[in-house]
Amino acid sequence: MADEKEKGRCYLYLNGRIIGYLSDPEGYVAEVRAARRRGLISGEVNVAYLKKLNAVNVNTDRGRIRKPYIIVENKVPKLTAEIGEKIRKKEVDFNYLVRNGIVEYLDAEEEENALVAFSESDITDATTHMEVDVAAIFGFTINTSPFPEHNNLARHAMLANFTKQAEGMYLSNFNLRFDSRAYLLFYPQAPVVTTKAYDGINIQHHPSGQNFVVALSTYYGYNMADAVVVNKAAVDRGLGRSVFYKTYVDEERRYPGGQKDRFKMPPPTAEGYMGEHVYAKLSDDGIIEPEMHVEEGEALIGKVAPPRFLEENIGAGGLEEKMRDDSTVLKTGESGEVDSVVFTESTGATKIVKVRVRSLRVPEKGDKFASRHGQKGVIAMVVPQEDMPFTSEGVIPDLMLNPHSIPTRLTFGHLLETLAGKAGAVTGKIVDGTAFAEKGSVRMEEYSRALESHGFDRNGEELLYDGITGRPFKSQIFTGVVYYNRLYHMVSNKIQVRSRGKVQILTHQPTEGKARQGALRFGEMERDALIGYGASLLLKERLLDQSDKAEVLICKECGDIGYYDRIKKVAICPLCNSNSFAEVEISYAFKILLDEIKSLHILPSIKLNQ
Amino acid sequence: MAKDDNEKEYEIEYSEPVGILAAQSVGEPGTQMILRSFHFAGIESAIATSGLPRIVELVDAKKKPATPITYVYLSGSAGKNVEEADRIAKKINEVKMSTLVKRTVENFSKGTIKILLSKQELESEELTLGQVADRIQKVMKVEARAEDRYVLVKIHTKNLKEIRSTGVKLMKAVISGIEGAGKAVIQRDKKSGEFYIIAAGSNIEGILTVDGVDKSRIYTNDVFAMYRVFGIEAARNAIAKELSTTLDEQKISVDIRHLLLIADAMTAGGTIKGVGRHGLSGQKNSVFAKAAYEETVKHLINAAAFGEVDPMKGVTENILVGKQIPIGTGSVRLAIKKEDMSRAKPR
Repeated sequence: MADEKEKGRCYLYLNGRIIGYLSDPEGYVAEVRAARRRGLISGEVNVAYLKKLNAVNVNTDRGRIRKPYIIVENKVPKLTAEIGEKIRKKEVDFNYLVRNGIVEYLDAEEEENALVAFSESDITDATTHMEVDVAAIFGFTINTSPFPEHNNLARHAMLANFTKQAEGMYLSNFNLRFDSRAYLLFYPQAPVVTTKAYDGINIQHHPSGQNFVVALSTYYGYNMADAVVVNKAAVDRGLGRSVFYKTYVDEERRYPGGQKDRFKMPPPTAEGYMGEHVYAKLSDDGIIEPEMHVEEGEALIGKVAPPRFLEENIGAGGLEEKMRDDSTVLKTGESGEVDSVVFTESTGATKIVKVRVRSLRVPEKGDKFASRHGQKGVIAMVVPQEDMPFTSEGVIPDLMLNPHSIPTRLTFGHLLETLAGKAGAVTGKIVDGTAFAEKGSVRMEEYSRALESHGFDRNGEELLYDGITGRPFKSQIFTGVVYYNRLYHMVSNKIQVRSRGKVQILTHQPTEGKARQGALRFGEMERDALIGYGASLLLKERLLDQSDKAEVLICKECGDIGYYDRIKKVAICPLCNSNSFAEVEISYAFKILLDEIKSLHILPSIKLNQ
Repeated sequence: MAKDDNEKEYEIEYSEPVGILAAQSVGEPGTQMILRSFHFAGIESAIATSGLPRIVELVDAKKKPATPITYVYLSGSAGKNVEEADRIAKKINEVKMSTLVKRTVENFSKGTIKILLSKQELESEELTLGQVADRIQKVMKVEARAEDRYVLVKIHTKNLKEIRSTGVKLMKAVISGIEGAGKAVIQRDKKSGEFYIIAAGSNIEGILTVDGVDKSRIYTNDVFAMYRVFGIEAARNAIAKELSTTLDEQKISVDIRHLLLIADAMTAGGTIKGVGRHGLSGQKNSVFAKAAYEETVKHLINAAAFGEVDPMKGVTENILVGKQIPIGTGSVRLAIKKEDMSRAKPR
């Protein structure tokens, strides 16, 4: 029955559900679109005729990604010069264009029915729409990169990531905020080379980087493989300097039974008291004062809490005496100045203390930088100014990028930005680097002329002198101005070392992770490598002597593990009461294994050889 | 050729951990295999499983490979003559009833099944209705007769279940060719120009009964079939060869000796064993080594029930307790006790 009805007809879907059949899908789609353009139905309705599926999809639900296009009818875009003038005069706004059927939003499905022209000259008979701007074929993020049409797409993906990680002026009220982590650049600058996308993000007030003078040259091998070299004097002048805020929060919690935490200087009698030096910087109320310098392991907020487990012998002394120290201590590897302390109250009417610690981050070896072309690099050396190359005019680059990082990554936009940035810097003008604004060669010529008129080489090359030998380099070096972002990955947050250290209580093996001052795991594959090499003693040292070595007494009679009774001063086997033992080195993990086997009601016994 | 004086240097020494070396040598390139699993055009490799799934299949000693293939070489003049080769291929090519059938009509009151056959398929397999009917009669042991456009099968019962199940069985009946040989196609060797047959099955026992098949050169990628027909040594060579070709296909070069070692270990017991918990790993004689691998509790409980003793001879168990492992440096022991050394007299 359904077959007869469907025959020669087209499915009609509304938000993915079949609601009927159409005999003239194309006419229907045209009708819906006309109605939408005339404003008879909502502009948020999208309709698409999918020939292959023999279906018309009408979508009105939320979550579709849509993009505006200028409507083209009879080879004429609806956005005429007249309307353009009105927009320029701010008589009409964008919504006017949408309401009057000049611009419409298409979703991914309706785009399949459209033929979009890049510009008016590309319009053919079949054209249905025109891009609002050619640069709009890239997304917003990619358009924050200058000359993106000259870069590899994979690098755009990286740029999108790095943009998120850049330090800058994230909000202007940062001083009033207690973000759990915040990074702030000291001297943020708006880029010399901008794009149209920056107009929308208010870059003047929220810049996220600085304009670096970059020389595209190797430096004695210190900038190999994505390493960069920076000028020490530039760093001292504030290049890439930033501050890191971290907020520590604690609360006076209430517990069932009327007990509660209390902010105060923990008494030495408190359980888990860490020693006088830890609390030395706290004031009388148990909270640290602003502008106090703090180092790792020092308390910021003194707090005592009731004991974790209720004990029998409450009574005489009362609860007061039994207290547990629950102070907030600066984590390992962190240090800085207390920036601000705030007392407030939670919604549950409990006291809250927030302590913001500020720490200065001067760029150092291992800190990460990235340009706007997906080109990241790590500082490998901070070179004294006198050792950096210089021009005859005395210009010394802030950063030296290895030229080998350009051709393999196909980020030619980086080169264009270098030249454009230099031209902008010498002319004192902001340069527009929006995608497809003009052909690359045309732009290049413009920058070259600007440089020439100021007495620079038209290709942006400079004769550099080696700061160490004083001799000029054999070849000229491409030097210019590039906008660099400082990314928040810093060594000082990540560095960790350990030789001997903490072990876990349960296994007696070294702890894991930076927060616990952990060791690096010597894993199974590493184990295999040593077995494969036959280094059995080295393997034993790694896995036993440097890990969970334990000496146990093994009963010669029954093979169980015995213990040493220090009162009777004699070793006893709990199973057979024998007193003859062998002292054996085993891994503590094996001892636990034996214990767990025993807990399965299986009795393991160890047979000794001698 | 004279023996190289340095040959000894290249021999494996006592206590060399060859197993781990083989595992690492196959495992490391194996990690690259997952990433680039590309497909080729062409009949041969399009059918065959390749890459990591194939390696897993071999090493786990799967009884039936996902895509069995048999290479049948021809003896005498057949290798150079297409017609002769084609005749032999026809003999091997397995044709199941289901490929010929267009429609079946069961008549429960008369106890008959009317089978309508596809003319096209019959022609391409060069069969007639009469031949099909004869064959059904022979294989199924039922009465079958060729009518003008169909085959009529008579079952002397009115039991509905029996009629239906006979109909299902009929579909599986092999009308011509060798059962389990699969589709047979003629191929031509690019180098020698010789004709050979590729069959998408691994019943080499059956294929070997066909006249004109070269019994000395038949090969299948089903290592269990190789084991059944040619014995364990052939199976061992087949495993190594299959591993090697699978790796070669992916342009991964692994020394053949590592693969031979794996094949040796899998076949050392006289049967093909996988490397997993039911194969080699399950046969370790250390309780701890077995428990450390898989099904820990099961092994411990078994050991307790049978009062097993761990001889502490292997690597895993010695690492577990923290002893020096008996490999490399650890394989050397003093032959004379320290105390006895003082009594030794110099010559």
